Amino acid sequence: MRIALVLAASLCAGAAFAQDAPKGSAERGKKLFAELNCYSCHGTHAQGGGRNSEPPIPAGYPWQGFLNQLRKPRLDMPAYEEKLVSTQEVADMFAYFSSIKAAPAAKDIPQLRNF
Amino acid sequence: MTKARKSTQDDESGLDRRKFLKGAAAAGAATASAMTAATKVAQAAAAKPAKPEGEANMRGDSFIARPGSDFMLDVIKTLNIDYIASNPASSFRSLHESIVNYGGNKKPEFLTCMHEESSVAIAHGYAKAAGKPMGVLCHSSVGLQHAAMAVYNAWADRVPVMMFAGNGMDANKRRPGVEWTHCVQDPAGLVRDFIKWDDQPASLQHFAESTVRAYKMAMSPPQEPVLITLDIDLQEEAIHGEKLSIPKLSLSAPPQADERALREAARMLVAAQNPVIVADRCVRSQEGVEALVKLAETLQAPVICTGNRMNFPSTHYLNLSESRPGLVRNADVILMLEVQDPWGMLHGMGDPWKDVRRAAKPDVKVIQISLADFMMKSNYQDFQRFQPADLAISGDSQTSLVPLTDAIKRELSSARASEFAGKADGLRKRHRDMKERMKTAAALGWEASPVSTARLCAELWNTIRNENYCLAVSDRIAWPKRLWPTTKYTNMMGGSGAAGVGYSAPGAVGVALANRDKGILTVTLQPDGDLCYAPGVLWTAAHHKIPLLIVMYNNRGYVQEVMHLQRMAGLHRRDPKTAKVGTMIYDPEVDFGKLAQSFGVYGEGPISDPNAVGPALARALKVVKSGAPALVDVVCQLR
Repeated sequence: MRIALVLAASLCAGAAFAQDAPKGSAERGKKLFAELNCYSCHGTHAQGGGRNSEPPIPAGYPWQGFLNQLRKPRLDMPAYEEKLVSTQEVADMFAYFSSIKAAPAAKDIPQLRNF
Repeated sequence: MTKARKSTQDDESGLDRRKFLKGAAAAGAATASAMTAATKVAQAAAAKPAKPEGEANMRGDSFIARPGSDFMLDVIKTLNIDYIASNPASSFRSLHESIVNYGGNKKPEFLTCMHEESSVAIAHGYAKAAGKPMGVLCHSSVGLQHAAMAVYNAWADRVPVMMFAGNGMDANKRRPGVEWTHCVQDPAGLVRDFIKWDDQPASLQHFAESTVRAYKMAMSPPQEPVLITLDIDLQEEAIHGEKLSIPKLSLSAPPQADERALREAARMLVAAQNPVIVADRCVRSQEGVEALVKLAETLQAPVICTGNRMNFPSTHYLNLSESRPGLVRNADVILMLEVQDPWGMLHGMGDPWKDVRRAAKPDVKVIQISLADFMMKSNYQDFQRFQPADLAISGDSQTSLVPLTDAIKRELSSARASEFAGKADGLRKRHRDMKERMKTAAALGWEASPVSTARLCAELWNTIRNENYCLAVSDRIAWPKRLWPTTKYTNMMGGSGAAGVGYSAPGAVGVALANRDKGILTVTLQPDGDLCYAPGVLWTAAHHKIPLLIVMYNNRGYVQEVMHLQRMAGLHRRDPKTAKVGTMIYDPEVDFGKLAQSFGVYGEGPISDPNAVGPALARALKVVKSGAPALVDVVCQLR
């Protein structure tokens, strides 16, 4: 979680935004996200993990930062080269993330009110 | 010592069939073939009086007046051991029989287990919840080999387990074949690197003294497993003339840290601007939790609880465990209480390049109170990387909390005490903010299917929130530690110790057994890969009516290894899609609900719909509250 916030902060500055991303297919992106096992750390809804510091992918993550993180990742994430994951496939996954419906706020979830 | 054991002509029941029939005939038992074995034994006993004590059993005898194993049980009973977990085996058949007949199968009661690893892990979980050891009976070489991983877990988790292993020491008396294969010259050698002490008694008096000594040592902090070997002949041969006595058990008072060293620690902590307390395996009881609260409040110092024990209430504003990076980064003095990995508290290491990241100020002062120096061995490396301390104090952390707090109070001027009190509001806000961050993070993926781990834990909490609860294994998912209100030592029981897969299921059964008579509801979040190691423990829970709510954290894989495979593929510039090969558990998917049912445990699932989890847990809770185990299989997000 902390890692994700660090990444988001460092990548947002001067980065291109969602409208600069190549057009992608959210459907293909969802499939790729599973095939490439990205969901093993980040969750199927990019929510991150429950063990230690598996990072969520924050809503509004910039395209260029997203691409950079795959190609030359910071911290412990493995690299995904163009020959293994094409830019178009990255764009598909980016489209998938952009399509994920925002989670309800914690205050609106009855099960979280008791904590 | 008696002169001879049963010959190799004896059958598996231990009765010499020809002699038995002869005795039975003399008694006029006309229908021997139709009788039950028990009836046969009883009638034969009446026909031929047993030898009085003091006479050795010889070939030709049919009965043993009082086997050595009866005395062994007398010794074990003096230790107030309630249960002995075991997978049955011939090398301790005599003690087994003494437990169930001579001892009436009470204190200790024989717990039927389906794997020695389960036996030891049950004892491990039990000891943490009960505050005292359980016995474990293992079959010589092969049983100890099965048990070894669980023993290492208990060792790394600093938990006492009273282990016994059957073995035939005298080669002249071993039956040919399997008995030779299973006997070993030095049984404890298999586990000696990760137990505190062992002995192989050569007489019953030796057994009595070593068993009481072993128990005493296991219970003295640092608490650890111990092992006594049970010689087959010693168990099976009759007690004869010697005068036997059982030494009185007198537990040692735990070692308190040196008073002068504590005064120095108090001076450092009172002078610090940002002191931080890190509590790892610090406390063993509620008394310890309360003592740590007093220490933290006196200093107004935030506490990082690692999760290996429930050291400090999560509801207390000084519990800032989920703000660890910032706390460590800004600390000028860190008090480490029985911390297993002090170096890891101050550093991180990247993977795979092993680049070291300093997590604390270069000049941070470190105070360690620990018994680590008293339990290190050379071979196994659970002692972690060496971290120098500015003040290293040997002593039991829990015992040292009160005198340290007293020393701090003596050191504290009224002006300094006011300064400390002034920190409270800021720390309360920080605690509230931390909790809100956790809840916000838990909401992500709330409607996801498979079910998010945060949702799973929130649903479970809402099911048990009105109960006096215990989360038996609390380190497999971080959300309970982040979210659940903990106030009691018994609320969370930590993890396996050595991260040996296979602990979670039997460990939880052991915790639940200890909690059964205390009115504490036990729940556990059970990883699927872990349950696949030795699922027979479900039968043990059903057979012994151990109430336990098992909620499957079923991510259908050994997911940490998926991540390792991904990392390796990335480094090797190869296909990351293959990371599922050899790591995931599907095709076919395991149906844990049916698995539970097959062992006589209430089972539901698999459940992938997050909205179906709560109702299923409520149904299972009813079963558990009726006194039985229940399992709900929830298909989860991978982490």
